[in-house]
Amino acid sequence: MHLDPFELHRPTTVDETVRLAGALAGRFDFLAGGTDLLPNYKMHLNLKPHLVALEDVDELRGFSADRLGAMARLADLERDPAFAATWPSVADAVGEVATPLVRASGTVGGNLLLETRCFFFNQSYFWRASLGFCLKADGDRCHVVPQKEVCYATHSGDLAPALMVVDAEVEVAGPAGRRRLPLADLYDAKGDGVRRLTLAPGELLVAVHLPRAARGRRGRYKKLRVRPAYDFPELGVAVAGRWTGDRVEELRIAVGGAEPRPRRFDTLTDALVGRTLDDARLRELAEAIGKSVRPVHNTFLLPDYRRRMVAVYVRRAVAEAREGTAG
Amino acid sequence: MSAEARVKFLLNGHPQEVPCEDARILLDLLRDDLHLTGTKRGCDLGTCGCCTVLVDGRPTLSCLTLARLTEGRSVTTIEGLTPPQGLSAVQRAFVDLGATQCGFCTPGFVVTATALLEENPRPTRAEIERAISGNLCRCTGYIKIVDAIAAASRSSG
Repeated sequence: MHLDPFELHRPTTVDETVRLAGALAGRFDFLAGGTDLLPNYKMHLNLKPHLVALEDVDELRGFSADRLGAMARLADLERDPAFAATWPSVADAVGEVATPLVRASGTVGGNLLLETRCFFFNQSYFWRASLGFCLKADGDRCHVVPQKEVCYATHSGDLAPALMVVDAEVEVAGPAGRRRLPLADLYDAKGDGVRRLTLAPGELLVAVHLPRAARGRRGRYKKLRVRPAYDFPELGVAVAGRWTGDRVEELRIAVGGAEPRPRRFDTLTDALVGRTLDDARLRELAEAIGKSVRPVHNTFLLPDYRRRMVAVYVRRAVAEAREGTAG
Repeated sequence: MSAEARVKFLLNGHPQEVPCEDARILLDLLRDDLHLTGTKRGCDLGTCGCCTVLVDGRPTLSCLTLARLTEGRSVTTIEGLTPPQGLSAVQRAFVDLGATQCGFCTPGFVVTATALLEENPRPTRAEIERAISGNLCRCTGYIKIVDAIAAASRSSG
């Protein structure tokens, strides 16, 4: 498959990137590792005439225990045992993204900003033209829930829930300067599968910041998928917490791969702080989260199954996190 | 992009400078322009690993790499891994242990395995399985492939 022509730009600083993004407003995509964007371009999904490649922008590269550059490669994170010991939920998720070959190019920022996915969207142009296009590309209706003019495409990154449970923040740069916001707020609570991010036009993800206060939380990320070697998540559950004996000191749970945005369940988990999380209470918590997650029929597995698996994965992830070693 | 756009890189140890449009994919450049057809086009979407090459020693899906982004880098294909005479240790082990069936996925496996052994000369079986989990063999001959990589790891020093 050949790509339609586009003009490639290679800025070397964040400022230059932001200026370019302003000048090309609406007519470009950022190119990070390319493992999500280029397959979509090959399928003629929302092509743009300009690509702004980020790999020469020094400030975006590399990572430490406190900061992940947006262009940090997943394979490099995966090879760092000290990072895994400090941030177990994140390390779990990194190792579960696609395949080693995809992780060799794939980046932290690319995974966080991954295009949402849907059975009716991730198809060839011919396939989509035959059925009639959809809201997410070239069309004006949804094949999943035809009654509504809302896109249900699913957030399919693994890193977001795993980073949300350690209270990660993201740093973005744009025409109005730099700002930091909780990662959870990067995903638009009032949006849908198309309008999925709160980034302003031309804003660039620079880095993820990991707060020291969250170090030492025990964590786990568990992923449901059909082929364990490489599929996107049908469901991803991340847990991080601190326990004294059986008593919960801190607990965060986030679910991705099931709805247009990854979500945290603070109201439910905050209610458990200071209490003992016995089997009955864990079951109750898992059921409550499972009830509130609403997958639709737009991936391989049936939504009812995915929904029921939420409770199962929450139970397993919490139990395994608790048994795991603290960072 | 202007008609004279070019890319300059090290290909299998030799400097190359070839015409290259911005939207040119590395796999297409290698196969269609440079006639290095050892690198295979499988799924063309990054799922199968048949098109794996090394970019600065790192296994890379050439079907998802813009050729112009290899400017100034070193690209090694399966042709470059083959010594002038004979076969590399990994290639020799694949032959000796019959780790090929139709052979289409083999170049990708050999490139991935070569990078693995470079980084980790004595991998466990589990490490080998994980390292090749992005390479698909539709003939499903994985056991012999893992055997061959393990044998190559023993034979090299």
